[in-house]
Amino acid sequence: MAGAGLMNWYRRLDRAAIVLGLVSIMSAAFVFVHGTFQLVQIGTVGLVVALVLGLLAIAAGWLAERTLLIAAGVGFLLAATVQLVLLAGGGSGFLGGNASTFSLWLGLGAGLIAIGLVPRPEAIEETSQA
Amino acid sequence: MTGTDYAAGTDSTADTHSTARAVPVLPSRLNRALLAVVRIGVGLLWLQNVGWKTPPNFGRGDPPDGLYLSASYAVSDPVLPPFAWLMERFVLPNFTFFGWMVLLVEAALGAFLVIGLATRFWALIGIAQTVVIALSVLNAPHEWYWSYLLMLLVHVALFATAAGRYGGLDGLLRPEWELSRSWAARWLVRVS
Repeated sequence: MAGAGLMNWYRRLDRAAIVLGLVSIMSAAFVFVHGTFQLVQIGTVGLVVALVLGLLAIAAGWLAERTLLIAAGVGFLLAATVQLVLLAGGGSGFLGGNASTFSLWLGLGAGLIAIGLVPRPEAIEETSQA
Repeated sequence: MTGTDYAAGTDSTADTHSTARAVPVLPSRLNRALLAVVRIGVGLLWLQNVGWKTPPNFGRGDPPDGLYLSASYAVSDPVLPPFAWLMERFVLPNFTFFGWMVLLVEAALGAFLVIGLATRFWALIGIAQTVVIALSVLNAPHEWYWSYLLMLLVHVALFATAAGRYGGLDGLLRPEWELSRSWAARWLVRVS
């Protein structure tokens, strides 16, 4: 029963990663939204980042692949850092985002890494055998 | 986002993940969903509004605009004289540093409240940031002071209800943190 509960919990972790990936893909829609309801500023290159890393997060959750989860998370954190550096230079830069974009990618990166850092069954078995 | 939607808390380490669902804090699924909506909404408030904090000058110029103009209301339309003095003597003359601090804090507020990670900690930061904003602009022209009081109260509600446990990563990851002996996990249990 505890094992089934544990597997169910891992599935919920993977679903959370898929949701974070979907959020990234949905944020790409803001490339078309301007004015009052533009929650986040997405430029053309930022659109590619949101789609590619969003799809990577979805694939990672779908395949229950920890390494991919962490890779997607690190990708978002790198994109957020680059956006911040570009903002420090006084503009949106080639990513075309703003501080809201930095905030969104920071959250997606931190969330995916937090999920990816949870040990999975293989890691648990290796630990118990050691 | 999925979450346990429950306050985890069991003595047995073997079945913590499966029995964590046994103690619902909010009995109604609707109430838990609504609390998640409130948390995400407050996160989006910060996320969108950090967008007009524009480095490297943050609006410092002639005429001033953006964040610098908002901060300068603390001096031109003071709410609390000691705070106005602090702003005039220390914050406005070193505005690049404080502008970056505001940007980083508000971006993190948006990021972590939206995903529901370390929510109680970020709710406290949100309370502190709201107080600073209120002390800066409460007496500025055309401001409605209840806006800032509502902002303050909603962060108090997020803290009091540990809102990240409902549809957030706090609810999902708390069972794992409770099993871990690392300082980071122990801190996350306290602030989630």
